[in-house]
Amino acid sequence: MPPPRTREGRGHRDHHRTFREEEEPERWDWNLPETRRLFEDAYFRDDDYIRQGSEECQKFWSFFERLQRFQNLKTDRKEEKDPEAPKHSIPALADLPRTYDPRYRINLSVLSPDMRRSRERGQRLPPKSVSEFRWALLHYLDFGQKQAFGRLAKLQRERAALPIAQYGKRILQTLEGHQVVVVAGDTGCGKSTQVPQYLLAAGFSHVACTQPRRIACISLAKRVGFESLSQYGSKVGYQIRFESTRSSATKIVFLTVGLLLRQIQREPDLPQYQVLIVDEVHERHLHNDFLLGVLRRLLPRRPDLKVVLMSATINITLFSSYFGGAPVVQVPGRLFPITVVYQPPPEVEPTTAKSEKLDPQPFLRVLETIDHKYPPEERGDLLVFLSGMAEISTVLEAAQTYATHTQRWVVLPLHSTLSVADQDKVFDMAPPGVRKCILSTNIAETSVTIDGIRFVVDSGKVKEMSYDPQAKLQRLQEFWISQASAEQRKGRAGRTGPGVCFRLYAESDYDAFAPYPIPEIRRVALDALVLQMKSMNVGDPRTFPFIEPPPTASLETAILYLRDQGALDSTEALTPIGSLLAQLPVDVVIGKMLILGSMFRLAEPVLTMAAALSVQSPFTRSAQSNPEYAAARRPLESDQGDPFTLFNVFNTWVQVKSERSRNSRKWCRRRGIEEHRLYEMANLRRQFKDLLEDHGLLAGAQTRRPGDSYSRLRQRRERQALYQLKRQHEEGGGRRRKVLRLQEEQEGGSSEEDGASASRAASDGGVDIQDVKFKLRHNLEQLQAAASSAEDLTRDQMVLLKLVLGRGVYPQLAIPDPFNSGRKDSDQIFHTQTKQGTVLHPTSVFASSPEVLHPQDPESRAGDRSREDKDKMSSKHQLLTFVSLLETNKPYLVNCVRVPALQSLLLFSRSLDTNGDCSRLVADGWLELQLADTENAVRLLAAALRLRAHWEQALDQQLARCTRPRLEDDDEEAPTVDRKVVAALSRDLLQFTASKVPYSLRRLTGLEVQNLYVGPQTITSAPSLPNLFGSSTLSPHPTKGGYTVTDFLTYNCLTSDTDLYSDCLRTFWTCPHCGLHMPFTPLERIAHENTCPDAPQGSPPGAEEAAEPLKKTSALQRPYHCETCGKAFLFTPTEVLKHQKQHV
Amino acid sequence: MACEAERRPLGVFECQLCALSAPYSYVGQKPPDTRSVVLLEESYVLKDPFTADRNKFLVLGSRCSVCSRLVCVGPECSLFYSKRFCLPCVRENIDAFPREIQRDVEKRKMPAKMPCSKPRSPT
Ligand SMILES: [Zn+2]
Ligand SMILES: [Zn+2]
Repeated sequence: MPPPRTREGRGHRDHHRTFREEEEPERWDWNLPETRRLFEDAYFRDDDYIRQGSEECQKFWSFFERLQRFQNLKTDRKEEKDPEAPKHSIPALADLPRTYDPRYRINLSVLSPDMRRSRERGQRLPPKSVSEFRWALLHYLDFGQKQAFGRLAKLQRERAALPIAQYGKRILQTLEGHQVVVVAGDTGCGKSTQVPQYLLAAGFSHVACTQPRRIACISLAKRVGFESLSQYGSKVGYQIRFESTRSSATKIVFLTVGLLLRQIQREPDLPQYQVLIVDEVHERHLHNDFLLGVLRRLLPRRPDLKVVLMSATINITLFSSYFGGAPVVQVPGRLFPITVVYQPPPEVEPTTAKSEKLDPQPFLRVLETIDHKYPPEERGDLLVFLSGMAEISTVLEAAQTYATHTQRWVVLPLHSTLSVADQDKVFDMAPPGVRKCILSTNIAETSVTIDGIRFVVDSGKVKEMSYDPQAKLQRLQEFWISQASAEQRKGRAGRTGPGVCFRLYAESDYDAFAPYPIPEIRRVALDALVLQMKSMNVGDPRTFPFIEPPPTASLETAILYLRDQGALDSTEALTPIGSLLAQLPVDVVIGKMLILGSMFRLAEPVLTMAAALSVQSPFTRSAQSNPEYAAARRPLESDQGDPFTLFNVFNTWVQVKSERSRNSRKWCRRRGIEEHRLYEMANLRRQFKDLLEDHGLLAGAQTRRPGDSYSRLRQRRERQALYQLKRQHEEGGGRRRKVLRLQEEQEGGSSEEDGASASRAASDGGVDIQDVKFKLRHNLEQLQAAASSAEDLTRDQMVLLKLVLGRGVYPQLAIPDPFNSGRKDSDQIFHTQTKQGTVLHPTSVFASSPEVLHPQDPESRAGDRSREDKDKMSSKHQLLTFVSLLETNKPYLVNCVRVPALQSLLLFSRSLDTNGDCSRLVADGWLELQLADTENAVRLLAAALRLRAHWEQALDQQLARCTRPRLEDDDEEAPTVDRKVVAALSRDLLQFTASKVPYSLRRLTGLEVQNLYVGPQTITSAPSLPNLFGSSTLSPHPTKGGYTVTDFLTYNCLTSDTDLYSDCLRTFWTCPHCGLHMPFTPLERIAHENTCPDAPQGSPPGAEEAAEPLKKTSALQRPYHCETCGKAFLFTPTEVLKHQKQHV
Repeated sequence: MACEAERRPLGVFECQLCALSAPYSYVGQKPPDTRSVVLLEESYVLKDPFTADRNKFLVLGSRCSVCSRLVCVGPECSLFYSKRFCLPCVRENIDAFPREIQRDVEKRKMPAKMPCSKPRSPT
């Protein structure tokens, strides 16, 4: 007889023998699933404290088993009856149960099902078993309460024991009376986690806390959320690029300095915050320094805004006095004694000392020392400070070998480019008898705090970007650290107990260290900062009240660079392109690509490339040495250049994701690609796209949503399912500390990422959480459409893309060394204008196939290998554009694209100088082009001039649109420049690029550069060429000599034997169009052609319709009445903007 | 997210013996979101901060049924024997309790006199 069921659908499993045995409780078998299910059905329903099938349910049963075993061991309880005592006088004690029963000690009770629901259920179960079960359940709940309370008490005890705990009141009091308070405390005093909580407890509800690093934002938000016991509430949030956990309930948000500055940019008075905590001000990051200056100006305007500056106890008076003597609350650190051991490596031969690779021996020696001196039972982990990632992997390799041998270490890398999940690993625990060895950059100096460190190894080195404003070159260089850093590093050993710090340098070295690190503002390129300052209207960067001013030279270089790049005009005001660039969180160069690309309707591919060029290379280190990876990756490579390879990688990845979604991780692993970087690209791409859409440079995506309600519904369902997966993952306690496996060490380097996350995913029931997040954040269908359309990029589009890239990165060009074709692949060298002898980055596609860069015209190749490339007349000379120049042990060109030399220089050069017949051209004062045929030279030059003018106009139009305030009913308008104009321009550019003219190309020598120009001439008779290159009259160039044709072209200013008279050298020429036969100088000839009534429009190499938009310039001009100055003008939209700027 | 906006804390619970403090979100015998469990004393309750499960609660403490002091459930501050008793009251009236309790109390430490706002000395 089946039992009556209270619920439908439990199925047949319920009929079982347990019911026949009901009457014989002694044979009741708790281990039978059926038995258990009976109780689960009754007690563990969906709205009960424990739910059927949950992890908790399993835990209960194992608790139950243990309890049963325990009680079987115990002989029957002897009921100790207390002697009848007189009734107690205190009423609460008078009615205590006299007979002891442990049940009385539990302060909760579980309602039995029959008290809540149908009566039948309870009656089905034998009473003895019910009471057994209920007792166990009570016990279990009580146990859970005790455990959780213990954790809470421990947490609160630890918080109260932090040195800062005694200063909380004082900080709040000081803040009452002052607008700015400096909280100075050493590492471990707890300021970063506690001060935000004190503010919350004091009732502040709009608190922002800035951090220099993203990872710190996440970990602090987690920690503070946890400590303030609302871990899963939304009071505490963080906000970093691409990610935000902020909601309307958020009271405190941890965010990066950069993000806060952007918020100020939007709302200069920062109305959304009551209190601002600026953490780690002592680190003197560029943006932090700038933020301090901005705040100092903001404070008088926001007298209600409170600012807490938090600093290590370094140079505190600097900050205090910068804010008019702000009060300082100084908190002592809590450090245990630390023994310092100086262990300088033995002197090495200067030759080996110079070698690039770090010697891991001194580090291994410390591991050995620890193994010999300290028994493994004495816990305590090791933190090693190394200068950079290369050093980390060198030591990682050696230490892992040692660890495999001894089985006493788990070696883990820690640096900012690891994924968050991998960074989190350093917080996991090593198994008993095994120590963690964490190999870290200076990230662990102040921003990441790891508990349980007992030993520190300090290499004394740090790698930092240093900047050479003259060469405009960022160098990643190794420096000795400062004394302040050395102390910070040491301090990491004494946070949880007495520690040891091994310094791998001599005490005399330490004494010679600088007291403080050099502030970033004195070390790096200031382009981005200046751009940001301009867009925030903080006035002249030269007079901005920085806490410590940057070097004048860097500031001037930055301003010059931005003017060069067209972001600032000659009055140093922000141009339309500049103000757009200021909003793009990327390098100026990449921002320009985005704008140019959107103009040519190449937005989709350019978005991908710009994103790809803005994140770290997705190719893993190990991939370079693994032939399988290299082979698998080969089909993705493009011999056009690295950005195109990245483009292919991303697109193919998107395809893989949309086809066999779960396999994208495997796909990446097989090719030695870090998938994390591709996710970053997708995020960045999305952000760029939003920006372009916001600025009207790209039509919005609304129209692309699937129209019918069915597919909308399906999509919504899919998204809901994804959200649920994400929630489950988040709730699934990813935060518990795990015990590290010893094997983990074998997986090695950065590729171990995949393996580890794969095993993690497996434990999550096969959910790839990154994949889930990706699909929630992005419209995969849209991405896939973009990716598949990329497959049919036409040749023409490809050429245009290269032009866009080329113009974006200009003047970052390198010329192949003339002897390259005779050199080995690995010995290819290239020269930039400022840097000779650069090499290709090993990840570059050209590093493995440099021959595509050699000029090899079929006509000139026969046997003349001995001839240098520079003398070769070829129409196929190429230059390399590069996105960055990275100097580590060698100067590396990063992310190169090959471009046709002559055409690129004609189109992009900032300065083009010619000789008299234009057969000799010098671009930007360093590259010389010698054309075989004067006629071709002149035609190309004329075409280039025209194309540049058209391109400028189109760009102007484009920018005018995007800076114009958008109206609501604006959306139906064509979003960009007139289609026809762009189509014509594209066609002309393509024809121009395709032109085949033999020429030679070489870099000028230093001496030649010095004597390049004829200089100002005393007798100057302007050639009467009114119609050449437009309508401007030629004026003599004041310094170079010759004549200024446009702002970039100077005619006949180059010194040479014949040039002086060449403007008078005429030869007979017959106009192909009108038949005119006359002696002409080359220039006169072009002038005639430009105006020849019979010539088809724009006769020079391909520009049939080129003249057309030229006339349209005036069509762009509209009457404009300026309300400020009351005058009337005829202006193009850009001119309007420029004019308005004058009044600001 | 809005639904997750946690039950607003009603106030801060502070143990009058050990000074442990924590926000509480409910006082009573029937914690919210928990149908099947009842508390046998009027308790200060917090949503269990160590689990994502929303119906899990954590009892912080309650009043001593002799002296009405607000005490935490920590073993150094109080015990439950059909009612809540703070340890000082238990010690004072130790004879009123059964032998099991007496033995148990002997084993316990005296409560830290002045609360842990004092830093622990590193050991
Ligand atoms: Zn207490
Ligand atoms: Zn009491």
